[in-house]
Amino acid sequence: MGTGPGAIVTTSAGAPPLLTLDRVTKRFGGLTAVREVSLTVAAGDLLGIIGPNGAGKTTLFHVISGYFRPDEGRVVFDGRDITGQPAHAISRRGLTRTFQIVKPFGNLSVLDNVMIGALTRVASTRQARAEAAAVIDLCGLGPHAGVRARTLPLALRKRLEVARALATRPRLLLLDEVMAGLNPTELVAMIDLIRRLHAEGLTLIVIEHIMAAMMRLAQRIVMLHHGEKIAEGTPHEITSDRRVIDAYLGEEFVLADA
Amino acid sequence: MGLVARHWGALLIFGGAALTPILVRDAYFLDSLVLILLWGALSAAWNVAGGYAGQVSIGHAAFFGIGAYSAALLGTRFQQSPWLGMLVGVALSLAAGAAIGYLSNRLKGPYFALSTIAFSQVLLIVASRWRAFTSGSEGIPVPFRPGFATLGLGHVAWVYLALVVALLYWGLELWLEHSRFGYRLAGVREDEDAAQALGIPARRLKVIAVTMSAALTSVCGTLWAQYVGFVDPFYVFSVDLSVRFALNAIIGGMGTALGPFLGSILITSLETYLRATLSGVKSGFTGIYLIVYGVVLILVVRFVPEGLAGLSARLWARARVPS
Repeated sequence: MGTGPGAIVTTSAGAPPLLTLDRVTKRFGGLTAVREVSLTVAAGDLLGIIGPNGAGKTTLFHVISGYFRPDEGRVVFDGRDITGQPAHAISRRGLTRTFQIVKPFGNLSVLDNVMIGALTRVASTRQARAEAAAVIDLCGLGPHAGVRARTLPLALRKRLEVARALATRPRLLLLDEVMAGLNPTELVAMIDLIRRLHAEGLTLIVIEHIMAAMMRLAQRIVMLHHGEKIAEGTPHEITSDRRVIDAYLGEEFVLADA
Repeated sequence: MGLVARHWGALLIFGGAALTPILVRDAYFLDSLVLILLWGALSAAWNVAGGYAGQVSIGHAAFFGIGAYSAALLGTRFQQSPWLGMLVGVALSLAAGAAIGYLSNRLKGPYFALSTIAFSQVLLIVASRWRAFTSGSEGIPVPFRPGFATLGLGHVAWVYLALVVALLYWGLELWLEHSRFGYRLAGVREDEDAAQALGIPARRLKVIAVTMSAALTSVCGTLWAQYVGFVDPFYVFSVDLSVRFALNAIIGGMGTALGPFLGSILITSLETYLRATLSGVKSGFTGIYLIVYGVVLILVVRFVPEGLAGLSARLWARARVPS
């Protein structure tokens, strides 16, 4: 991962951010799903996004990755304004995502699914197949490479989402609840995978409800509530923030954590 | 797996078709063979949009009619070669196909299918009412002028011409299954949003596939009109015809290279057989063909939803595994 041009990780303070959201707003009729959200992500970051259901987390992902055009504000990726560009063009620039409700190419094999991701960069199907096989192994899908994607259990479908996105060799990967619905063993495996990708230099933004996982993964966490960013900080700062506890975590979390 | 082992079905069908004119001289039999190959190629053309790109059209008769009329009109009004007519038909169908393909980005599933029906019906009205140019509902008889340049050919030559077209279309679909374009198109068919996240310009690929499909259909429309010798607007633009293209492919196996030909073999020979046996005194029963058609469709969808091609692959796999 992260061997493409421009993937060199520089987290020094002077480096320009990889992604900048500047007062991004998205409305649906009278409902404002995302309101004036600004944030920056430096290369090599692992940013977490938390918030109650309906807080606008997935909508924000849709805006960043080009599925929704924001009503106001700008999205800047790698120094380029990508606001309103189509999703496929943004993906080709090195920003891709997974879907909360998994979207496998159901009638195709796991290998073909991942290969289609690799074919975005390479012209040769043979090379794409070899690269896809490597990504499949990395994601622990090796034994299932020949299986039709629609027959996979949920835990493996979530991994397939990640594998397919990785095959495009992104510089920034948005993961939308890839841990939801996993059992404890599967959860640990997914956390390991995300950590490994991060250690290899991939920049990630992760939406997750499982706070224990988020605490172990994220360097910084952003809290969304009613479409607004109400807090941002290290995991420790977030879990001791009064607004976050009131809106999302609840008193039990504070007690359990203490 | 060797090339022969992988394509034994195609070898059997196309090899059989190539040998038939040498062994059989019966005009009626050869006529059926030409139709099987042409209807198979037409379903293969439909398959590019419907099977590989997932854009199910029930209006492909529009492109068939464009091909048929282009050659017939250029031939009778301007004394031009049907080959030129074929090119004109392809050009018109590329334009119409691109327009319909663009529509597929606005209209999904059944709405797209309905809009394709509407398109073919509009062309039917134009062709049947514009008497001064198209001869209206009387249709156009295509004069038989012997020679390859005028497509005035005997049955044997027609078998080989239809076979060449069938092989080209079959080969194109094999390419679709193994090329970068084909893989990415399959991604678009399976899930457009996911495909876009992988950097695939889903809309552009759909338009390209529908446009290709339209042009391929048009070529066969021209050939069919020259072969049969008569262009009737109520036939060439009919919904029946559009449904036939789709059903042959669905019965044979959507999104497979050989499927449309398997479907055509089954349906075209069934139709020919039933028409022949139920003619004359029992001609009141000719409509029974449609009932048989329906029953076959129900059986296929119920028991082999992946089509005859899928069924043969399944049997082949079972035969290779020693039990």
